[in-house]
Amino acid sequence: MRKLLMALALVLLAANLAFAANKEMRLFIWSEYMPEDFVPNFEKQTGIKVRVDYYESMEEMIAKLQAGGVSQYDVVVPSDYVIPTMVKLDLLAVLDQSKLPNMKNLAPIFVNPPYDPGNKYTAAYQWGTLGMMYKKDKVPGNPPSWAVMFDESKQLGPFVLIDSTREMLGCALAYMGKDVNTTDKKDLDELAALMLKVKKSKYFQGFEVGTGARSKVVAGAAIAAIVYNGDGLRAVAEDKTSAFANPAEGTVMWVDNMCIPKKAPNPEAAYKFINYVLDAKTGAALSNWTQYPTPNKAAMAFINPEDLKNPAIYPSDAYMKKLQFLRDLGKDTRLYDELWTMIKTR
Amino acid sequence: MRRFHWLVPLTALGALAFLYVPLMAVAVFSVNNSRFGLSWQGFTLKWYAKLFANEQILEAAWNTLVLATVSTVIATVIGTILAIGLDRYPWPKRLFSALDINLHLPVVTPEIVFAAALAVAFGVLRLVFSIFEPGLLNMIIGHITFQVSFVALVVRARLEAISKDYEEAARDLYADNAYLLRRVMLPLLKPGIVGGAMLAFTLSLDDFVVSFFTAGPTSVTLPLYIYAIVRRGVTPEIHALSTLALTATVVLVMLSERFTRKQNKE
Amino acid sequence: MNSHLVWYGELTTLRRLLRRGLYFAAPGMIWILLFLALPSLLLIVVSFTTRGAYGQIEWTFTLENFKRLCGFGLYGWSADYFIILFRSVHVAFWTTLICILLSYPLCFYIANKPERSRYFWLTLIIIPFWTNLVIRAYAWLLVLAPQLPLARIANALGLIPEGTPLYPSSFAVYLGMVATFLPFVALPLYSSVEKLDWALVEAANDLYAGKIRVFLHAIWPQTVPGISVGITLTFIPAMGMFVVPDFLGGAKYMLVGNLIQQQFGTSRDWPFGAAVSLALMVLTLVALQLQRKRGKKVEPI
Repeated sequence: MRKLLMALALVLLAANLAFAANKEMRLFIWSEYMPEDFVPNFEKQTGIKVRVDYYESMEEMIAKLQAGGVSQYDVVVPSDYVIPTMVKLDLLAVLDQSKLPNMKNLAPIFVNPPYDPGNKYTAAYQWGTLGMMYKKDKVPGNPPSWAVMFDESKQLGPFVLIDSTREMLGCALAYMGKDVNTTDKKDLDELAALMLKVKKSKYFQGFEVGTGARSKVVAGAAIAAIVYNGDGLRAVAEDKTSAFANPAEGTVMWVDNMCIPKKAPNPEAAYKFINYVLDAKTGAALSNWTQYPTPNKAAMAFINPEDLKNPAIYPSDAYMKKLQFLRDLGKDTRLYDELWTMIKTR
Repeated sequence: MRRFHWLVPLTALGALAFLYVPLMAVAVFSVNNSRFGLSWQGFTLKWYAKLFANEQILEAAWNTLVLATVSTVIATVIGTILAIGLDRYPWPKRLFSALDINLHLPVVTPEIVFAAALAVAFGVLRLVFSIFEPGLLNMIIGHITFQVSFVALVVRARLEAISKDYEEAARDLYADNAYLLRRVMLPLLKPGIVGGAMLAFTLSLDDFVVSFFTAGPTSVTLPLYIYAIVRRGVTPEIHALSTLALTATVVLVMLSERFTRKQNKE
Repeated sequence: MNSHLVWYGELTTLRRLLRRGLYFAAPGMIWILLFLALPSLLLIVVSFTTRGAYGQIEWTFTLENFKRLCGFGLYGWSADYFIILFRSVHVAFWTTLICILLSYPLCFYIANKPERSRYFWLTLIIIPFWTNLVIRAYAWLLVLAPQLPLARIANALGLIPEGTPLYPSSFAVYLGMVATFLPFVALPLYSSVEKLDWALVEAANDLYAGKIRVFLHAIWPQTVPGISVGITLTFIPAMGMFVVPDFLGGAKYMLVGNLIQQQFGTSRDWPFGAAVSLALMVLTLVALQLQRKRGKKVEPI
């Protein structure tokens, strides 16, 4: 009997501990997207404890939110092309602009963006591109071409593709010179054929998330991988045998935004965090570490000068023309989803 | 001793080596002084030190233990009385086979089907009761469900081995139901109950699939943590963590062996 | 029904007995019904629903998911999903078979050891059995890495290009699966082998039976209970396994477990995932029926 009571007490204690951690801010963000002191500085400034959870792709994030995460996270950082979907799925809360005085720091093109008119739901976090991280001695070209992955005759060694539906297919479409948002059946059939051929190649090492792929190149298990430009540049700074570049044919551009899920447990803390990030000095500290271009006009004054000159971070005007935004396709997203499942299963 | 064809010991030892080579590799690389790449760069214990400074890992370890303990306690209680109820009462044949099938359901259902069904069920329940957010509660419920069957089956095996004589003798001596249960059956069943509880505990500690489908942000367990890190790129801290888990397993197995050996002598 | 009977020394009526029995059995039975049987039925229902444009479940009932399962997708007909289902059964079958082939020598070897050291050898099998599956799976990523001997040998033999690891590949998946399930077969088999009556084997040998006949007629029938437990513990979980194919097969070798996990994860297509789960459930039931037909009882350790 006594043992039973002890067990019951243990159960209650454990349950209490599990449900007790409520006065914290829960951040759901891409992995490796903040310098190590970023969150501790916020905690020191505001006294709010932060719990961070990570995801590796947009699809993973939305799946988690749909499966109940919408009432478990306070700040989430989705990319531009999924925002309309998330709004339709009723996952995001409308931002109370009065609580975000630092919004005025954003550069004009990030205020009132096409994927979120009036900044109702979003505040830009970082933007950037998808590019190739590669071993300097194995892959030619400056910048290299996507062909080293997509063209059988030009494959020179093991390579890794990125495990993210729209972004991966977008890079392939960019290589083919097509619109990354095409819904043309012919284009999609060509895309399917290309991807299936690439998958059969003996050099194909699988689909990895951006950070995983980068680790493979650094470890020498692959000579080329698709990674986000910031992740690539940070790794290249430590590993002199690797380099990162936006490939010659053009690529996908994205904007990540801070949003508050509809049923966030602690929205007050969420607003404080978003405001903290939008501050000029903090925004600059963030970008200087992540090596992603910043959307924060006021922060530009504090960015490292070498970064401003680096075309991998801030592409030249000529290259900007080759960058394409992914757009939400509404009901046509199904075309890409089924294509992706087909590519993965065959 | 019997003389076997030389292939037998060769295959046997080969099979054992096959089982241990990966684990040894992990242990070796957990003390290798190199972050990426696999060339030997000297002996170091720094990855273990980093492990203990990592709050997330400590929290995952704590969650794993709490989850295993809570679910084992509840499952053992439910499973034991289930076994007694099924074995010691004269159920009519058709009813008994229905109950028996129900009992075996968790054992024969593929884990991923069970996990998917739970995810769907909790998704629907969430619309009504907000307590079913992905998290520790869901995980505990999921774990208990498959643990109950295993506990019940182990206890039932033990029950079948205990002869009727003890209970009949107790009744002859005017024992009532509560006394019979407390002082006669439970002590006789102790090895079975403990065996079932240990089995349930280990099943929960090692569980990945069910936890994967029901976990929430605050309830990451060690297997889930390791899985997420492997996807991002294995780090030597994970090797250190795995080696520690392996060592803990070795210790637990030896303790349980000693325990069962003592029981068998009684 | 109301006549008295004596049950385990107690004089009572059937009704009273069963009522008490209900108190004991009900919590467990209700729990399993509530959290396994009902959710599974719900899963079956969901497999007939449609996926909304944004990944939600729309409660319009349709056979679309099953049509997709049979191969009729947006990009024309293809046997993709049949292939995956077949491949999963195939992998499970060969894994179980290889495990059985490896377990017999292992068990004979251990049973042959003097009694004192048997515990030691048994412990050697039990330890991987209790070690976490995720750890054992990712450990193979280490062993098959390009810089380690196995991959180098394959490279020298010209099987793989230089600098690539031995995964993702079907070979790696089989390695991982066999390594994972070997203890699951060896341990139950051992309990049968330990009780083996060697007199029968010697009798067969005395009668000049060839080695294979000795095995088939003297050894195999005695070990059937252990083997059947091992098969149940291996074949069915192997069909639904997803960690090992995920790490070691990657995108190149997909099994039905990965497919289901993908539908409930990044593809956000719960209805289709439910349909695939249903297919797996059906396969499992077929496998169980086949086993039952051959007269073996389903009972774990």
